[in-house]
Amino acid sequence: MEGRPEDDSELFARAQRGDTGAYEEIVRRYQQVAFRTAYMITGSAAEAEDAAQDGFMKVYRALDRFRAGSPPRPWLLRIVANEARNRVRSTQRRLGLELRLAEGFRPGDAAPSPEAASVVAEDRDRLLQLVNALGDEDRLVITSRYFLELSGEETAAALGIPEGTVKSRLSRALARLRTRLEEVPRG
Amino acid sequence: MADLEQQLTALGAELDWPATPDLATRLPTYLPARRGGGGGERRWGRAFGTTAGHRWALVAAALVIALAALLAYAPARDAIANWVNVHVLFQRVNEMPTPSPQPPGPLGERLGLGAQTRLAGAQKQLAWQIAVPTSLGQPDEVYLQLPPDGPSQGEVTLVYSTRPGIPVSGQTGVAVLVTEARGAVDQDFFGKMLGPGTTLESVTVAGHEGYWIAGSPNAFFFIDANGDVRNETMRLATNTLILDDGGTVVRIEGNLTKAQALQIAASLA
Repeated sequence: MEGRPEDDSELFARAQRGDTGAYEEIVRRYQQVAFRTAYMITGSAAEAEDAAQDGFMKVYRALDRFRAGSPPRPWLLRIVANEARNRVRSTQRRLGLELRLAEGFRPGDAAPSPEAASVVAEDRDRLLQLVNALGDEDRLVITSRYFLELSGEETAAALGIPEGTVKSRLSRALARLRTRLEEVPRG
Repeated sequence: MADLEQQLTALGAELDWPATPDLATRLPTYLPARRGGGGGERRWGRAFGTTAGHRWALVAAALVIALAALLAYAPARDAIANWVNVHVLFQRVNEMPTPSPQPPGPLGERLGLGAQTRLAGAQKQLAWQIAVPTSLGQPDEVYLQLPPDGPSQGEVTLVYSTRPGIPVSGQTGVAVLVTEARGAVDQDFFGKMLGPGTTLESVTVAGHEGYWIAGSPNAFFFIDANGDVRNETMRLATNTLILDDGGTVVRIEGNLTKAQALQIAASLA
């Protein structure tokens, strides 16, 4: 298989035949999106780690049920997200995730002038503050679609809602965010 | 201002996410072999080591203990009271969850027991033998819960509305419920959630291992192969004797004394 990454269907087929090396590769391929999805739900890195690893164990046990040819990401994310929600439910905590900007990040290839960088950073901070201030439903759907870059189907799986609800919820969340951007003055 | 959606996507690349743990290299050495696994291919256990002291090690230890149960479960932080050979995970919690209010209507709907049927009708749809407690006689009602709402091999509930010497339960509205379930043990697992006021006592009935759960209401649930907690199965139960009858998880539930429950269990045929 040198020269090109093995596609998901080949990997899952091998894993279904009992090849744990293939399953290791599946976990490696999806551990970041699984962990971040769980983190989005639990707001805790430790809980997210537990949820992701428990989720991968359940996926392993349920490999027989995976239908060849279907996309694995929604299925996998649904299992991990369920684990995460169960943990939130069992600890009876409220969702409390507050996303932060990475320190020292400089988007783009060319370094902006100090003035331009300051304005860009100000916009970013403001936008993130407004996203963090949204209600749980709005923040989760925006985080899923834009920050985790999940598809509509994957977002539905991660949030445990129908895909149609993702669209309507996202539309309302964006509208609210636009309104707040207009209402809250810069700086 | 650029399009809001573009801004959000760009913002996503700048977020400070916690470092992703390397789960692939920390996979446990004790995962059960899956059915249909091909021979000659690399398996966990030889391929990976574990990190001493890490939660995976706790998982692995629990799984070793649970080999007889053939179930894989990662307890992580939840307080696990015990892991027993009745295909049931007992979970001790400080505060019981509040189950959804029971809808008005027939018993089967109120308690989420599935579709009403007759004993013979239920038996026809199950690959395993339903055990009926002869001391209670024929059940007044029978319910059957099949996948996807029930465990992979189905669940049957025998309802005994009233029986001499057994008060009607305020939780269920009937004297005794006998629920029998059998899941594919590598796919489903069952759980019993116990609050602070609930006691758990090991018992043996005709050679079958079991547990007597008494005191405050407790909750039974099952988790399917997709990791979904079947919330519709979560409801508060009163005193319960739970035992493994040859791979079938039998729950005898009601305002029963321990002696009454053991007598009912001993009459299962």
